[in-house]
Amino acid sequence: MKHLALYLCVFSAPLLLGQSSAAAEKSGPRFETEVRLILKAHCWQCHGEADEKKGGLDTRLARFLIKGGESGPAIVPGKHTDSRLFKRVASGEMPPGAKRLSARDVEVLARWIDAGARTVRPEPASLADGSFTVEERQHWSFRPIRRPPSPAVQHGQLLQSPIDAFLLAKLESRGQGFGPEADRPTLVRRLAFDLHGLPPGPGVVERFVSDRAPGAWSRLVDRLLASPAYGERWARHWLDVVGYADSDGVTQRDRPRNWSFKYRDYTIRALNADKPWNEFVVEQLAGDELVTPPHQDLSAEQAARLIATGFLRMAPDGTSGSGANQELASNQVVAEVIKVVSTSLLGLTVGCAQCHQHRYDPITHADYYRLRALFEPAYDPKHWRSPSGRLVSQWDKNVRETVAVIDKKLAEITSGKNAELEAAVKKAFETRLAKLPAEIRAEAKAARETAAAKRNAKQKQLIEDYPFLSISRGTIQQFERSIAAAIRKKWDDQSAAVGKQRPAADNLMCLSEVPGQVPPTRLFSRGDFKQPREEIKPGELSVLSPVGFSIPANDSKLPTTGRRLAYARYLTNGRHPLLARVLVNRFWMHHFGRGLVSTPGNFGAMGTRPTHPKLLDWLASEFMQSGWSLKHLHRVILTSTAYRQSATRREKLDQIDPDNQLLGRMSVRRLEAETLRDSLIHLGGRFSDRMFGPPVPVSLDSVGHRIIVSNNRYDPTGRLLTKIASIGSEEFRRTIYIQVRRSMPLGVLTPFDPPTMKPNCEVRTASTTAPQSLMMMNDPFVVRHVGELARRVRTEASDGPAAEFDLAWWLVFGRGPSDFEQRTGLKFLQDETAAVRAASPKDTDPALTALSHLCHALVSSNGFLYVD
Amino acid sequence: MDSFTSTRRHFLSQQAFGLGGLALASLIRQDELRAAPVKPLLQRRVFDPQQRPPVHRPQATAMISLFMQGGPSHMDLCDPKPELVKHHLKSYTGDIHYDNVGQASTKLFSGPWKFKSHGECGMELSELLPNLGGVADDICLVRSMHTGISGHETGISAMNTGGDGRRGRPAMGSWLVYGLGSENENLPAYLVLRDPASLPVLGAENWQNTWLPSACGGTVVHAHEPRMANLQPPGSLRGATQKRILSFLDQINRKHLERHPGEADLAARLKSYSLAAGMQVEAREALDISGETAETQALYGINDAATKDFGTRCLIARRLIERGVRFVQVMTGDQHWDHHGGIVGALPKVCRRIDKPSAALVADLKRLGLLDSTLVHWGGEIGRLPVIQNEANIGRDHNGRGFSIWLAGGGVKQGHVHGETDEVGHKAVTDVVNHYDYHATLFHLFGLDLKDVNYARPNAVTNLMAGQPGKIVNGLLKNPV
Repeated sequence: MKHLALYLCVFSAPLLLGQSSAAAEKSGPRFETEVRLILKAHCWQCHGEADEKKGGLDTRLARFLIKGGESGPAIVPGKHTDSRLFKRVASGEMPPGAKRLSARDVEVLARWIDAGARTVRPEPASLADGSFTVEERQHWSFRPIRRPPSPAVQHGQLLQSPIDAFLLAKLESRGQGFGPEADRPTLVRRLAFDLHGLPPGPGVVERFVSDRAPGAWSRLVDRLLASPAYGERWARHWLDVVGYADSDGVTQRDRPRNWSFKYRDYTIRALNADKPWNEFVVEQLAGDELVTPPHQDLSAEQAARLIATGFLRMAPDGTSGSGANQELASNQVVAEVIKVVSTSLLGLTVGCAQCHQHRYDPITHADYYRLRALFEPAYDPKHWRSPSGRLVSQWDKNVRETVAVIDKKLAEITSGKNAELEAAVKKAFETRLAKLPAEIRAEAKAARETAAAKRNAKQKQLIEDYPFLSISRGTIQQFERSIAAAIRKKWDDQSAAVGKQRPAADNLMCLSEVPGQVPPTRLFSRGDFKQPREEIKPGELSVLSPVGFSIPANDSKLPTTGRRLAYARYLTNGRHPLLARVLVNRFWMHHFGRGLVSTPGNFGAMGTRPTHPKLLDWLASEFMQSGWSLKHLHRVILTSTAYRQSATRREKLDQIDPDNQLLGRMSVRRLEAETLRDSLIHLGGRFSDRMFGPPVPVSLDSVGHRIIVSNNRYDPTGRLLTKIASIGSEEFRRTIYIQVRRSMPLGVLTPFDPPTMKPNCEVRTASTTAPQSLMMMNDPFVVRHVGELARRVRTEASDGPAAEFDLAWWLVFGRGPSDFEQRTGLKFLQDETAAVRAASPKDTDPALTALSHLCHALVSSNGFLYVD
Repeated sequence: MDSFTSTRRHFLSQQAFGLGGLALASLIRQDELRAAPVKPLLQRRVFDPQQRPPVHRPQATAMISLFMQGGPSHMDLCDPKPELVKHHLKSYTGDIHYDNVGQASTKLFSGPWKFKSHGECGMELSELLPNLGGVADDICLVRSMHTGISGHETGISAMNTGGDGRRGRPAMGSWLVYGLGSENENLPAYLVLRDPASLPVLGAENWQNTWLPSACGGTVVHAHEPRMANLQPPGSLRGATQKRILSFLDQINRKHLERHPGEADLAARLKSYSLAAGMQVEAREALDISGETAETQALYGINDAATKDFGTRCLIARRLIERGVRFVQVMTGDQHWDHHGGIVGALPKVCRRIDKPSAALVADLKRLGLLDSTLVHWGGEIGRLPVIQNEANIGRDHNGRGFSIWLAGGGVKQGHVHGETDEVGHKAVTDVVNHYDYHATLFHLFGLDLKDVNYARPNAVTNLMAGQPGKIVNGLLKNPV
């Protein structure tokens, strides 16, 4: 345990206001840091926060506890056995319900009472909303970001990037150092998957391996950062965080969101162009407030700003469903949006504060509604706009005029058709009427002319006896089949011809406010929208809010309220403690496999603390100083010694750091679901590098289980109606362009832990399961692209199994085989060819079949599925 | 304590390699896994799903949970309330915990269904559950379940994913598999038979392993063929061909592992290929009920459209247990029992679908001699309120303060009714069984002390109880402790 203690010293951030543990022993647990948290989590709701405190007891301050409630003092300092509070919780009587204090919590209370029930500092005179303890205000992630100086290290020659010093200093303090540099093929492969999510082509590997001039690595980094594949790869990371989907979710129907893709494309473009992240964040939170309405004849820049607000439209949305409880559904959308915003940009989970004060973080009930007030002018449950009611057309004036002309023509055609049908109806009716006995003709006519509901019994009888009496445009074909058909055909053909000229819809999905409509935001008692209370003004979480900072409720200089714009500008002003830390931590996570804070969506009390707090701050500061340039940050990280280390474990390092928190080596990582799919297609040579555009559809296969990239159609019971012809090379596009239908996850992704957007995904898991193996062994997708790979190898390799084997190995692993691997592999190929020949005499090319079996094994192997 | 402990990855990381993954199992000291005091935090451990012995003599070795998502109405099914009949449509003056205050009413409601006593034990059950009546002497009915929480998500979290109603925790089945491993190398230890129509509320979260090793997660079995994805190789790869490919794959994987000593994930993948290969054969056979006799199929109602689906899944559950699967959960679909409205018409239909197969499972396990070692659970996450919700279309709102479940086999009492709710069925009042007590009891039946099945995470040591005080409920046990 001794070295464990040492370890803890290194890793846990020093206790706030540093109090030695020996001192804590003497004076008992601290109220501010320990006791209060227990009471806050378990007692405050009924005995403190509620307007009517149960039993008249308020547990929020120590002196309130001593004063007690209706049944007397809650605690007797010095005597826990005489203290009601202790007796009640120890017996399990309190709190009511399923939740209990842990034995440790009970013990803490007892020791605190016995030590005199003291507080470190005098308690505040009153408890206004948002009054937090010093400890809460001083939580590490709420403190300002300061650029720390580079720490001194013993082995200065190992430093290649400023980040190295922070890592190495910590490693050296533990008697460790960096591992050796990985070999060059390993490095290229690592970088290719990191920046592109695709295997490196052999050309890329060879070029780097043979580039012995100084700066070869930086040149490689620059080349890969300049490729459009970079934006596709890194956009995916951001889309996880924002919860990107091409459907609404929530309801069974899971209505498709046809225009989501423009936000996906906007993100890819922003990353490829290295759009500064402060602008990127402002546009996503408030792009609409930068565009003057009406939203017509938009320039590309204006359109992009509107599209950017798709960020706030990604949440699951059940408000299109008929019969849904609209008020509930719309309030849920707002709650999900707040969740996406708070986890993605603030790294905080504020959801608890929807109903009551946050149990762990200093976030008040009112704070939650301050955030909600930022969005309420755009998301107003009282004047809800359905998802389709928020679309903005991107047709320009010319198109609109063309469409108007076409629509006029279509209307003319429709009325022409109706008139002609009407005439035919009249004629058919009169002909038949004339044939009726004269004495009932008048009555029959009257029956026809009377509305169905008002007909008397006799008229009803007539209608039943003479069906032609109800002849209409809709039923004429039952009486005059050929005439009706001819009329319809004539006009429908015209309509189809004109309709073809009508341009397809071109909309964008955005968030916007209705100018002049500023609903009050009210705090909901217990989070229930049916119990609104006082009005809350927009603002930042009070614990983060700088003195004097406020957000205008309605900026008169803007047609909108300006609330989101003001908030976005404040978030990106370079002084916000969370935004830059949260962002750089995520970037770091994607490079190294884990963030410096391993809970990237929770920088609060329940999240983990950073392993390298100074490095995190340095990165955040560097990021902002560089103009919020992600590509700059990539270069800083990728050119480091740390990033280029070998992934091989070292025994001594492993003993003290098996999880690789110190980063004395690289971590081995499994390919993500999308990377695996893209790479298999890439290897087989069918890969389409077409960028952007509407999502490629997914649908069920003919068996009805596997969801594939296809356009099959089903009847409502799920039976295959029509199998639409192949969608051609669209099938082979990168996964980022494949439709993300929440209810229909693509089959080849599901075993490999794709993100679940409920509403967003903070961090992915990397499991190892048998269904993954079954997929690699048997899935038609894998088998198909393995076959493509074999054919490609056959075509591209010079003659002979040896050359084919070498090429296959190179393509799959990005390196050549060792002698042993070559011997084993060639022997497999030889034996396999013989086996195939023996087993399938009809196979005209057993060597090719054997080659595909070889390729199958290679892509199923760890050398391919993992990046080291 | 902000300590530095093992993460999942760490947990999977392991010692010496160079040995193939197939030999891995024998390297492992299983008793370290769930060890009572969590070992010094930096010690490296390995999870392997192979079987390991329980701590004390187990009464159950496998479990089938028939999960009735939505919240069956206990007062209408298995908890008769004469007072409710007497005060039908009268206003209730007691304290009611409503979920949907908007549609709340204080009018008591007694369903139109008659109760009758069954078996030698005289267990009173509703006419909606005639078949359950047939096995009344084999089941242990708990009428005093209590979670104290009334939402679906939170209720499921409490009943099915343990813990304190918070989401994002490993499922109960995952903890069980974590504690005991699997008895069959060729089948996943934890299988979930999903409903053809929909997933229950919380979807795949119901069987997630979250931070426990991935081998502890539930594997989903589809409601119709092919029941498991990719279980059959394409024709060109069947048989010897795939064996040769896998053997070559194993060779190159081992070579790769030599270059990455200590990477447990890599070793685990070698193992997962051999598991997958075994599954292809064994799972297909286990999921195929065509070999069952006509009599057995009829017992489960497979010859009847109403019971065909649920019956087939119950029968498959039995076949899986026979083959050494540790935990099988048969799920009803999304809100199957959530009768907020129209309960008089809807409840009989649901019962018609579920009752016969559920009872058949108990009877079938019994005649095969499997009931002694197999614990069967039937129940949802909540019950329902004795008062009307929505007078326009009568239903019942959620009730987490008192509801019923039943258990059978695996060391629980037979023909026994445990606990009571109050006179109208709202709150459990006598011999209350909290969800954590239920879990503690269940783990005890499996020969484990729930408090000792621990897993270390970066912030805390965790277990299924999440700090709650679970007590073994002696009243449920054939052999009380």
